[in-house]
Amino acid sequence: MSMIHVRINGSEVADDVPPRLSLADFLRERRNLTGTHLGCEHGVCGACTVLVDGEPARSCLMLAVACDDRSVETIEGFAGDPVVAALRRTFHERHALQCGYCTPAMLITARDLILRKRAGSEREIRDGLAGNICRCTGYTNIVTAIAEAAQEIGKEAPNAQ
Amino acid sequence: MPNDQYGIGASLLRKEDARHLHGRGQFVADIKLSDTMDVAFLRSPHAHARIRSVSVPPGARGRVFTAADLPRIKPIRITSQATGAKAPAWPPLATDKARYVGEAIAVCVAPSRGEAEDLANSVAVEFEVLDAVVDAPRDMRGSRHLIHEQWGDNLYIERVVEGGDIDAAARAAEVTVTRQFRMQRQSGAPLEGRAVLACRDHRLDEVVVYSSTQTPHTLRVALGEFLDMEARRIRVVAPDVGGGFGPKARLYPEEVILAALALELDYPVRWVEDRGEHLLSAAHTRDHHYKVTAYADRQGRILGVDAEIVVDAGAYGLWPQGPYQEAAMAARNLPGPYTIANYRARHYTVATNKAPLGPYRGVGRPGACFAIERIVDEVARAVGRDPVAVRAENMVRSEEMPFTTVGGMRLDNGDYRESVRLCAELLDLPAIRARQQLGEPDGRLIGIGFAAFAEQTAHGAAEFVARGASIIPGFESCTARILPDGSVVLMVGIQSHGQGLETTLSQITAHELGIDPARISVRHGDTESTAFGFGTFASRSMVMSGGAVARVSRLLRDKLCRIGAHLLQCDPAQVRCAEGAVLGPQGSVSIAEIARVAHLRMDGLPPGVDPLLDATATYEPAIGTGVFSYATHGAVVAVDPETGFIELLDFAVAEDCGTMVNPMIVEGQIRGGVVQGIGTALYEEIPYDETGQPLAGTLADYLMPGAAELPAIKIGHLHTPAAATEYGMKGMGEGGAVAPPAAIANAVRDALAALGAPVGAEVNETPITPRRVLAAIRQAQTAAMSV
Amino acid sequence: MKAPAVDYLRPRTLTEAVDLLAHASVEARVIAGGQSLVAMMNLRVASPGLLIDIARLPELHAVASYSDAVTLGACVTHAAIEDRRVADPSRGLMPRVASTLAYRAIRTRGTIGGSLALSDPAAEWPAVLAALDAEVVLYGSSGRRSLKCTEFTTGIFQTKLAQNEILESARVPKLSPDARYGYVKLCRKSGEFASALAVVVTDPRRGYSRVVSGAANGSPLVLADTSRLVAEGPRDPDALRGTISGDLDRASDRHFDDFQRNLHTVAAMRAVQQVLV
Ligand SMILES: Cc1cc2nc3c(=O)[nH]c(=O)nc-3n(C[C@H](O)[C@H](O)[C@H](O)COP(=O)(O)OP(=O)(O)OC[C@H]3O[C@@H](n4cnc5c(N)ncnc54)[C@H](O)[C@@H]3O)c2cc1C
Ligand code: FES
Ligand code: FES
Repeated sequence: MSMIHVRINGSEVADDVPPRLSLADFLRERRNLTGTHLGCEHGVCGACTVLVDGEPARSCLMLAVACDDRSVETIEGFAGDPVVAALRRTFHERHALQCGYCTPAMLITARDLILRKRAGSEREIRDGLAGNICRCTGYTNIVTAIAEAAQEIGKEAPNAQ
Repeated sequence: MPNDQYGIGASLLRKEDARHLHGRGQFVADIKLSDTMDVAFLRSPHAHARIRSVSVPPGARGRVFTAADLPRIKPIRITSQATGAKAPAWPPLATDKARYVGEAIAVCVAPSRGEAEDLANSVAVEFEVLDAVVDAPRDMRGSRHLIHEQWGDNLYIERVVEGGDIDAAARAAEVTVTRQFRMQRQSGAPLEGRAVLACRDHRLDEVVVYSSTQTPHTLRVALGEFLDMEARRIRVVAPDVGGGFGPKARLYPEEVILAALALELDYPVRWVEDRGEHLLSAAHTRDHHYKVTAYADRQGRILGVDAEIVVDAGAYGLWPQGPYQEAAMAARNLPGPYTIANYRARHYTVATNKAPLGPYRGVGRPGACFAIERIVDEVARAVGRDPVAVRAENMVRSEEMPFTTVGGMRLDNGDYRESVRLCAELLDLPAIRARQQLGEPDGRLIGIGFAAFAEQTAHGAAEFVARGASIIPGFESCTARILPDGSVVLMVGIQSHGQGLETTLSQITAHELGIDPARISVRHGDTESTAFGFGTFASRSMVMSGGAVARVSRLLRDKLCRIGAHLLQCDPAQVRCAEGAVLGPQGSVSIAEIARVAHLRMDGLPPGVDPLLDATATYEPAIGTGVFSYATHGAVVAVDPETGFIELLDFAVAEDCGTMVNPMIVEGQIRGGVVQGIGTALYEEIPYDETGQPLAGTLADYLMPGAAELPAIKIGHLHTPAAATEYGMKGMGEGGAVAPPAAIANAVRDALAALGAPVGAEVNETPITPRRVLAAIRQAQTAAMSV
Repeated sequence: MKAPAVDYLRPRTLTEAVDLLAHASVEARVIAGGQSLVAMMNLRVASPGLLIDIARLPELHAVASYSDAVTLGACVTHAAIEDRRVADPSRGLMPRVASTLAYRAIRTRGTIGGSLALSDPAAEWPAVLAALDAEVVLYGSSGRRSLKCTEFTTGIFQTKLAQNEILESARVPKLSPDARYGYVKLCRKSGEFASALAVVVTDPRRGYSRVVSGAANGSPLVLADTSRLVAEGPRDPDALRGTISGDLDRASDRHFDDFQRNLHTVAAMRAVQQVLV
């Protein structure tokens, strides 16, 4: 067991974890943050994507021990984040989710695309979603929702775009 | 009174969204019960092997269970009324023999999944490996080691579907075209795998089974049967389900085992399938072989079709319907929406040492559509005409409706030919033809292809009886309850896992009662709170469950009107329900007020009217053979003739599903289905080697379509309401997945037509991989040279 | 599946890490981004007894630019290269490659050193760095040594890295301003490992040109004759194709089937054409 200190959604958390525990299982099983989903546990599906030190990462491919002294954001966080707020609205309005299993990670990935200015065209958005599988929607509406949110954010804060 | 702002036909935004957008959905693996232990299965590494012994390390006793340790479990038995059908009994934990790689042999329990896996690795099994049966057409009559010895062969069933006189058609034919087609085995692969959490509730004396299932009520029936328990002592809950698509509409051994463990142990047990297990042991799908001969005249008018269909169904049949429906459905659907008069399809359902085959969006139809739509194109090419014209000319006309196809499908209404025209328009066919003339600067070849189909939906008793089904999912139910404050709860026997039924079913009640859907909750997926129903599959939930909701809403509406009229001191005939109230000639009374009276102030009730606003109704469509949605799909591809890589440039659907309760959701279902169909067409495959080892164990080997590879999917609608259903609805959930393999294969064929002229290259096997494309080009070139 | 039980240590210096590696009593492996190793552990195809986490060692994040080369610390991530947050000796080739490698959420953690150390036959960096004539610097109990990338990777998941060594950095020669490169990754799905890779670098001022095939059933395959031909600026596609075929045929140990052979030929042709444009 190893003691770790992690900042999760803004709160400091200390826990004793077995080194084999993935960040995903740490969040889900130990912190009850079950919005982070597992679809493959080998890095392909993207359902487990969270932010680690502000950058998107596969929580299935990170060990919780390796997150000692790092900060992690999950879908349960982002309170007051304007980009996620915009995405939540456009995903709802554009019917960009069906079963909802891929959705939390889609939002986190989409937020990153918008903030890195990689959501300027349909092509860019589609390429940026390559690592997030959605089995339900066929992606068309997800792409539209992200494009709309990107435009909206671009208008509000041209410098963030 | 209809309210179009949120009733039938409104693209009401979904009630389901908020929880998922905030990561507050609740899937089985998210449910926390204290002291839960995790479970891992020890699975057979061999496709076909006798189990000589299982040795559990001494320290692991009481944490590893084999069939012998769980005697209450009975073998899973399927029954079929179909003559000649063989039905193997399936012990949920293998006893004497393992029949596919991934079959469960023992179950291990530990505080975490990782430790449970450690435990599984510590168990030693001694096997005697037998030859594996992996080639269904070759081995159906027999093999060195039979899968089920007592059968004498490896055939679940063989049947013929016939109509007209195929031999006469053969004699009359001016053109004969024969092809073999193959749709490879694949996975359903919802993003959430299967998952089961089971625990005992001592207070209620029941076992509670949370399962990621599409069919909670029938799962309870099965658990009762195979655990020998009364249903009253079993509660099944399907919470949020992360995609189903068919594979979760069957009973799995794991569900029985987890329930048995919960009865045995005094703590909750949880099994969360991982992706490897899913690819190995959840229902596989497709795996069809076809040999099709079409007889036609010189104009391309198809006189007859002779087909042989072999379905590789794997080692066991999944409860309840067994392995029989796949081939039967393919055989009956193969004639498609065509007026072909003479037909024969011999079909064979074969046992192999592979994972059991189950339903997946479209079931037998994508294979049948692939076969007929490819053959239609080849007939067109053989007579030197454009496939679009030949396709439309062979199709049933709207004036001929209702029309029973030679496969026995009674198409109820619609303008099928118009769907071909509309689809071609959506893709701008003339522009594509012009582009083809010009050629691409990068040397790629452009092709356009179409495929049409009729989708039987919401089939009732008649259809399932005809299939020889052991249970007849011919109705759905709804209990509706208006609470004392006037808010409404609908309790339904289906299960919604992405289809948005929490939204659309409220739209129906909103429509009937004239109340805001925001005042309505839909409960589903829990046997505790809902009347019996069959669940969500077979494009049935909107028609069936929606029908039940309509009926029950009307029962409540009548009662509301009677009470309302009494309170308004007028005749019930003078009032109507709208705007959240009962409106009379002079004034109105709110539904909330009526509900208050019905519960809390029964002194206000009219004489002879009972308190409570609570009713249950069932619904079955007026016609048992189903109402038919239909569509034409079209694809534009660019094929790189040097590498065989295919880019999908455009895709369009022209469809008719009758009255759309929520067009936004309909379009979402279509697009999702189409992309799954594209997966079948281009990416998804679980190959097996000759020893029966599956070769796709991770998502790195099992490719699913991603956003980057896809165009936006275009949709055009036709509107022909059904006569036999509420509001004219037709089911439509599966259709999206039916035609893409055929449409894309036809587009690839179109692109490659000039290579290896005069015949050109064609790929008649899905997925259409670069390797297969190049092989087809080589073959066509070799053939052209030898001409 | 879940990873098997393992111990974990996070040393503070590279020397300490090498000591741990050299003296471990169980199978010890370093973990950098974990983007391959944790996946392999989750699939239980790797089950080390001890993980030595090197992801945060400052030595392995060092980037230095010299007149003729840039050294990139082993733990520089694919994303840092993609975003040009580190010096780029390759005039855009490496950022372009990085952006086609896996997915962003993997690139943010996966490292160039991990990629080279693992030497997955289908990976980009071994092929690209071989084409750039880069060297790797290995640091072990007995000190430092450098190896050309073309020598470092010896086969499928096989390298000359010793058990007690850590890949410290990659030293990549700087391309001249008029150098050209071509890069083709053939894969069916964006972000997937390649079915065929081709990298061409030609730098006339340095008298250098090299064509490398990746995803080639072994270590990156230098197409020797094609490399020479590229230096001459070939204009005849048939001659080029013939030369590529000759190079591929000579690599009989790769056991290419017709399909693979064709794919590698096409990839190499197209990569060379990018240079000639
Ligand atoms: C879904 C998916 C898709 C991918 N697609 C691609 C792709 O298209 N192309 C591609 O190239 N890669 C791809 N990768 C792999 C990815 O690039 C990894 O980041 C990389 O291969 C390993 O880097 P890492 O830092 O994560 O190494 P780790 O996973 O930490 O380690 C990998 C191996 O290298 C050893 N190691 C790591 N660093 C060092 C060092 N400095 N010295 C000595 N040994 C070391 C480890 O002990 C281990 O054996 C993919 C990965 C996934 C999960
Ligand atoms: S669960 Fe992490 S990428 Fe699939
Ligand atoms: S909504 Fe179901 S996986 Fe995306």
